[in-house]
Amino acid sequence: MARTLTYIGAITEALGQELERDDRVFLLGEDIGPSGGVFGATAGLWEKFGEERVLDTPLAEGAIISAAIGSSMVGLRPVPEIQFADFITPAVDQIIQQAAKLRYRSAGGFNCPITVRVCCGASGGGGLYHSQENTAWFMHEPGLKVVMPATAYDAKGLLLAAIRDPDPVLYFEHKRLYRNVKDEVPEGDYTVPIGKAAVRREGRDLTILTYGAMVPVSMQAAGDMSKKGVEAEVVDLRTLAPLDKDTVLSSVRKTSKCMIVHEDKRTMGVGGELSAILSEEAFEDLDGPILRITGPDAPAVAFTPPLQKAWIVGVDQVVAGIERLAAY
Amino acid sequence: MASKSNRAVLEPEIEKNGHSTELQLSLYRMLMKCRMCDEKARVLFKQNKFAGGNFYSAVGQEATEVGTAISLRADDWVAPSHRDWTANIIKGVPLKFCFAQLYAKATSPDRGRSSPAHMGYPPLNIITPASSIAGQLNVGTGVALGLKRLGRDTVVVAYFGDGATSIGGFHEALNLAGVHRLPIIYVCQNNLWAESVPLRLQTALTDLSQRAVAYGFPGVSVDGNDVLAVYDVAQTAIARARSGEGPTLIECKTYRWYGHSEIDPARYRMKEEVEAWKKKCPVQRFEKALFEKKTLTDAKKKEVTDEITREINEAVDFAEQSPYPDASELMDHIWA
Repeated sequence: MARTLTYIGAITEALGQELERDDRVFLLGEDIGPSGGVFGATAGLWEKFGEERVLDTPLAEGAIISAAIGSSMVGLRPVPEIQFADFITPAVDQIIQQAAKLRYRSAGGFNCPITVRVCCGASGGGGLYHSQENTAWFMHEPGLKVVMPATAYDAKGLLLAAIRDPDPVLYFEHKRLYRNVKDEVPEGDYTVPIGKAAVRREGRDLTILTYGAMVPVSMQAAGDMSKKGVEAEVVDLRTLAPLDKDTVLSSVRKTSKCMIVHEDKRTMGVGGELSAILSEEAFEDLDGPILRITGPDAPAVAFTPPLQKAWIVGVDQVVAGIERLAAY
Repeated sequence: MASKSNRAVLEPEIEKNGHSTELQLSLYRMLMKCRMCDEKARVLFKQNKFAGGNFYSAVGQEATEVGTAISLRADDWVAPSHRDWTANIIKGVPLKFCFAQLYAKATSPDRGRSSPAHMGYPPLNIITPASSIAGQLNVGTGVALGLKRLGRDTVVVAYFGDGATSIGGFHEALNLAGVHRLPIIYVCQNNLWAESVPLRLQTALTDLSQRAVAYGFPGVSVDGNDVLAVYDVAQTAIARARSGEGPTLIECKTYRWYGHSEIDPARYRMKEEVEAWKKKCPVQRFEKALFEKKTLTDAKKKEVTDEITREINEAVDFAEQSPYPDASELMDHIWA
């Protein structure tokens, strides 16, 4: 039966259903228990499943992740939460030196099937330390999977896939999508495959590769430009690591032009990696440069409204990018 | 009144009938085995057998590991650091694999992935360490959380040095263990030097066991070169952990005879200090006591050392004859 859920509602439903279905699953993080999470992502779960399954941790991101890593090594399926991507940094040693490398350094003898939920992205008034994405750091670490859904359907399906995945997965939830995105979410059990992008809009003139909060922005820009006769194909990457090269290459081979749109900073971002892949593997198919429409190379999203507005990629910038590329 | 689980000082419970002859001989055998294997590894290093890698000798510290690990069950977990290669030997990993690890051959438990002495062994729940200091404490604490969740009476023993007690991860791990009364024994081998940094620049404390007070569980300092004293404290701590009473921090006061690693001449230490500690050798000390009690004789000692020598020679042959892994393995074991 189809009914709509918000993006955050889909996350709560996924967690609740998986806690029910699999005894090994438990949640841990700051303020996730009685408080239900600072945005409400775990609302009602502590009441239903208790402290044994929904645990408030000390204020220590490193310990949250290492508790998850260690307990997953004895057969549990922990889903730790990092309350804001901006605060993932104290946990980076555990994520990169332990989680990403445990299987490799033990030649498969140990592994850690953890799913780290990370609330990320710029929202109204988040400021310098409640707006970061930081996905690029982790895409650079073989051994980690990195996903970011853009729809409520994917939010539930990808989270379930992540929890069931035998490898460590960083599941980024964009906070601006929490209550602004609402779509059909099946009530039953299903998964969305990790490593598979989704074509959100078909078009023959150029390809937009994007993810997270930039998916609705790109869709809007594509709709605007369609009225001017330019049909953009919008590909929602969904998984940042491993990137779905097949879907990306097949789209670019069809349209011959590509632009990458992401909210996160420009240098060493997803756009840079995709540009390199395309120039190596689709050189003969390209009829124009690979454009990147991205956040600026400024340290973080300043709080004051004019700077915040200038930082966050808007429809206008994507439209300008489409116009520039279409003119080639 | 402080409950048994959070009183500051642990009172070790001595074995009911004292220490049996059988126990003492097995402690002695293991001390000798660790000493002889470690010294053999140093010789092999000098012969350039470790493919350019380093080696982190624990000679001088043997009692800290033998006393704490000898009575662990096969299912108990060990979280070693770079200086706990011998923890694998004590827990019962076949010696041939221990030497294959040093040689980084394909027959090593991690197929040569890790640097020499960074050894783990999944079948006996010994966690392959990263080099990140205190990393193993963090992961080991997570394992303890999982074990408690699963209702098992399995315990975790985590090894680290004085330096590791400074880093944030140490604090986070012990804090969490205290909150949840986790079944973990933290064994700090305080050898007074973190590579070349002396204890006085590491911490304002003299007794690192005092750190446990901050986390709400007992800490105890013990002569790390007295294997029976270490054994007794460890037995009490292990019993606490198994019965759900929570963690213990054991500070073993000890000393490493050689440098931080085999390429470190340790010129930062005074010769007098080194010589003074060599006189407190944990192996010789225990051996002397056993000879005095007539538990050990020259013949028995020879039997023990001959057997160990045989085992070591077989293990080294195995490592020598094992192949290196093929370069085609580079991308194996990144994903499931």
